[in-house]
Amino acid sequence: MSLISDLFGKSPFGPLVEHSKTVHECVELIQPLLEALIREDYEEIHFLQDKISELEYQADCIKHEVREQLSKRYFMPVDKIELERFVRRQDKVADMVQDFAVILMIRNTKLHPSLHDQFFAFINQIFQVTGLLLNAAVEFQNLAEVSFSGAEARVVLSLLQGIGEEEWKADRLARTLSKSIYKLEGEEETLNIIFYEKMLLALGNIANQAENAGDILRTILVQQ
Amino acid sequence: MDIIIITAVALLGLYMAWNIGANDVANSMADAVGSKAISIKQAVILAGICEFSGAVLVGSHVTDTVRKGIVDPSLLASMPNITAPDAATMLVIGMTAALLSAAFWLHFSSWTGMPVSTTHSIVGAVAGFGIVAAGWESVNWGKMSQIVASWFISPVAGGLMAYVLFRFISKYILERDKPARAAIKFAPVVVFMMAAVLTLGTIYKGLKHVIKDIPWFTDDLALVLSLTIALACAIVSHIIIRKKLAGKEELPISKQLNYVEQIFTPIVIISSCAVAFAHGANDVANSVGPLAAVVHVISTGTIEMKVGVPFWILMLGGTGIVIGLATYGYRVMHTVGTDITEITPSRGVAADIAATAVVLICTRMKLPVSTTHTLVGAILGIGLARGLGGVNRAVTKKIFGSWIITVPAAAILAMILYQAGNFFLFDIIKSIILANGA
Repeated sequence: MSLISDLFGKSPFGPLVEHSKTVHECVELIQPLLEALIREDYEEIHFLQDKISELEYQADCIKHEVREQLSKRYFMPVDKIELERFVRRQDKVADMVQDFAVILMIRNTKLHPSLHDQFFAFINQIFQVTGLLLNAAVEFQNLAEVSFSGAEARVVLSLLQGIGEEEWKADRLARTLSKSIYKLEGEEETLNIIFYEKMLLALGNIANQAENAGDILRTILVQQ
Repeated sequence: MDIIIITAVALLGLYMAWNIGANDVANSMADAVGSKAISIKQAVILAGICEFSGAVLVGSHVTDTVRKGIVDPSLLASMPNITAPDAATMLVIGMTAALLSAAFWLHFSSWTGMPVSTTHSIVGAVAGFGIVAAGWESVNWGKMSQIVASWFISPVAGGLMAYVLFRFISKYILERDKPARAAIKFAPVVVFMMAAVLTLGTIYKGLKHVIKDIPWFTDDLALVLSLTIALACAIVSHIIIRKKLAGKEELPISKQLNYVEQIFTPIVIISSCAVAFAHGANDVANSVGPLAAVVHVISTGTIEMKVGVPFWILMLGGTGIVIGLATYGYRVMHTVGTDITEITPSRGVAADIAATAVVLICTRMKLPVSTTHTLVGAILGIGLARGLGGVNRAVTKKIFGSWIITVPAAAILAMILYQAGNFFLFDIIKSIILANGA
């Protein structure tokens, strides 16, 4: 009807910020999951797993929405392919949280008391990584406002620079935690130990994917 | 009897103006409504005021180009076997047919949803009349190609200018370490440019047309005057902005950017009004140009090279545009206002200033360009400057398509209507002209 309203494609940056927030909502449920595991409240774990699954689905929908808006017909201020890669990576973070929840759900595992603190410290470190990603990603609207360059872009870049270091710290914690897990050999059921290791790997993946997403965002900003 | 004819043609002019108001006006306020600076209702009211004053104050310049530039009426009179009254009659019927076919075509295309320009419709229709009435050679193809070239040039020029303006705003304000502080310094520069474009466009030709015969009001003086006004606006805006942004430079950059956009909000309202003003100035001629020709020929019985546009005709055009806006255009405004989600005031200002400048310059050069297409060009320019989340390139194809279709369609329609008019009305109108000429 109106030429001018035809001209405007929806910008993907609004949904992109929404996606970041939804993914982070998933991440925030890791702590309650672990607490429920320690309480051996398996019903709560089921409930949380359902919630995560729902959030993950929501994030998926938003991801598709973002992709639809990356149609070839539109001029974009940033590389469409990089943007698509970013949202895919960020979506993986939610997938990995879902994996972790599923591991807790499929078997009523008991967490050995000596591991409690170390697991909490580990997820805390993962939050450092995902938190940095969230803080950077929610700036997408503002980044669009400054055409992805200038002072605001530098602020976001400096946020992202910390992400690698935090992930490295998470890796180190994972290694010590892994050692502690295997020290339980003989003392704890083997099947339990296998599940501890599975949990550890799933959690490590969350931080990994978050770091990857952060790296793509960095590339986008550096390119400009 | 001639009163009946004039009334009939005036109603046609009104119908054409109604079409302009119904289709085009909403686009001119797009940046202000799109960036949520004003509500849709406010936009309708502001657009009405600006269109009307643009039409009445600056409106008369394109008028005779459309009528005379494309088809030379003296050629009609010099044709063999045609007397002067015959030629005058043909001109009356032809202009009426052109007006009617352009209005029909517009109505049809807005019904089918095609983005057709009012300017292009009337140009096509007048050319169609010329071809059928006096042959292929009667159309001034030099002028015609100039006009068609301006259709290409105006969106490109709008785009270039918007690109440069937006890069300026980006580089000197938004991308700075302290956008709030930078805005205090450089936002007044933007205000200066806007005020200069607007006052130059209005004073240079427009007001001089209304306030005639002031010997001291030379072009140079007009230039000095408008630059002075622009400077005054810049200084006032500087004082206001400094007050509004005081102490904001210590906030995080993202917060500062919000405040800076707020500074641009009133500016985008004014600049959108400027577009509406320029639109009124440019497009009113599409409806009243042919009408003025008909009225002149009927009341004097002669064909002259130049015809002044009476004030009442401009008023009629302005009124028609406002009625079109009030009865139908507000719906288009609603579409525009709710569909555009991603334009912020800083972008809107750059697009508006560029579009206004290009349209006013073209109006002065007597080149009838499409305001909407110029604005589209300007917005695309901002997209190219990486200022917009997503701009649909496919629109350019649509515009191109509408160019290719509109001119022939309006021309053919005008030819048919002209032949029909000749067949049924020739003798009646000729008798009126003979009576008035005698």
